[in-house]
Amino acid sequence: MSMTMPSTLAATDAPAPTRAARAGVVTLTLTASGTAMASVCAVGLLQMEQLVGGVWSVAAIVIAGALCGIIAVALGRLSSVIPSGAGLLAYFSRGLNRRAATLLMISYLFVMLLLVGVEAVIVGVLTAELTPLPSLAGAMVFLGVTWLVCLRGIHVGYRSQAVTTVALFTCLVALSIGAIVSAAQRGDVASRLWTAPPSAIAMLAAIGQAIFLMMGFELVTSHAEVAAPRAVGRALWLSVGVLVVFYSVIALGLASLTTLPRLDADHLIVPQLALAAQSGHGAVMAVVVICLLASFTSFNGALLGISLFSRALARQGVLPRSLSRVDPHTMTARPALHALFAVTAVFTLVTYALTIYQAAILSAAIVTAGVYGAVLWTRERPPFREPTRRRTRALASTTAAAGFAALGLGVFVDAGAARGTLAVLLLVILGVAMVAALRIRAARSEARPS
Amino acid sequence: MSALRAPLDRFVARYHANQALVTEQRGWTCAIVLAAEDTAEQIALRVEHGRVIAVGDAGGQPDLIVTGPSAMLVEILELRQDPSEPYMFGELTVQGEERHFTRLDYVVTSLYPES
Repeated sequence: MSMTMPSTLAATDAPAPTRAARAGVVTLTLTASGTAMASVCAVGLLQMEQLVGGVWSVAAIVIAGALCGIIAVALGRLSSVIPSGAGLLAYFSRGLNRRAATLLMISYLFVMLLLVGVEAVIVGVLTAELTPLPSLAGAMVFLGVTWLVCLRGIHVGYRSQAVTTVALFTCLVALSIGAIVSAAQRGDVASRLWTAPPSAIAMLAAIGQAIFLMMGFELVTSHAEVAAPRAVGRALWLSVGVLVVFYSVIALGLASLTTLPRLDADHLIVPQLALAAQSGHGAVMAVVVICLLASFTSFNGALLGISLFSRALARQGVLPRSLSRVDPHTMTARPALHALFAVTAVFTLVTYALTIYQAAILSAAIVTAGVYGAVLWTRERPPFREPTRRRTRALASTTAAAGFAALGLGVFVDAGAARGTLAVLLLVILGVAMVAALRIRAARSEARPS
Repeated sequence: MSALRAPLDRFVARYHANQALVTEQRGWTCAIVLAAEDTAEQIALRVEHGRVIAVGDAGGQPDLIVTGPSAMLVEILELRQDPSEPYMFGELTVQGEERHFTRLDYVVTSLYPES
């Protein structure tokens, strides 16, 4: 069916545009960047710093940014052909098939929820700076408060998200520049930034981890329903630029610190606090408050978005039917929100008790590399591929897709002590995603040969 | 010859027959256009305070545009197809604010026999 019909109405007889207030490029760029700028990313940056160090971390970020730029262009095409709030699931479904789409998206959803668990633990550590609450209790309180806000149907608006993103960017970039300037005044900036070249496999793993830092920017495609024409495509690559600048400056700031906190498979370090500590107690408080606000807006959007997705999956029979109910007053999928709160609370407890932070981050990097590779693969298939598209471009795109798979492999090979846990985690993710994919109904056009 | 008009009229009649559902939507006012991408047919309906007060040709700026193949739109209006399935898999797209789409989805799925 999808092969025979026009890709979108927009290409033929477009109806009048809606009178809804349309999200513009700046708003969407800030939304995309804000989604990717999670507190857990600073932990990822610290991992990279230990893996390659100094300017090599920046090189890995720039290369990952260039690769994500290719993804941004491909996603712009996918979003213009199918401007759907279902985003990646819709693209993969139309370009590949429903089962492959479900497999990819459930894997992605799983690592997102896992990262919510890691992020909640970080929030707990940050909360402990402000209150006498132990970090685990702080994490649970934060999850609970966000869940209650979501149950009321309160969705953080674009403006609040934009303000939070700008505040986070400004604060962490300023602190990082401060750290670099301090290193320059001490006279050891060159020795801290110009470190020995890493091995090729370490660099490959660092690029893979840098792709994890960008994870989430692509979710802005789900705003296509309220976006101005072509705004999503522009916001995608602009947000990649913003993220490259943001992470590069923080990587240099971390490298410039006199004492870089040491991260291992068993301990969680919050590098933002180390950066802020250089500038005194006031800076620590500012970082804590801004990071908490940023995590709140991310959690709010993630819980509401994933609850609606879970509701749709429940209607397909992939999840229990009871999760498909919607509250008529708040228009929230309350049973799905309850289930998500339970899942994220369990993931937080598991992450905290088993200290699997590093494995969780690396699994997210590997799954993200796989999803990004699938984006490029999908872009070269109908209904997304233009009839006039050059073969060389298609070949370059397919090669880049294979490159993402290689990056994922590089992350696994260089996982060190976390490799065993990572392997188990990946098997669990794949198992859950395969069960979901087998439960999904194939489209009528997929079920019978044409 | 409109393929969507008769199914839409039947859908509206079913909706209005469900008084509890109409009452639940009493705060909802929305102009909706259904657009068939394969036949270029468009049909509009205007909802005011939860009741459909007009059905006819598309004109003016709607709040919500629902686009899909004509046969699929008919299947959804006749309550033979759950709209969330083609929406998730990119065969049905919407333009407009989420609050309107979520409300419309709620109405359709509430009328759907499996609900």
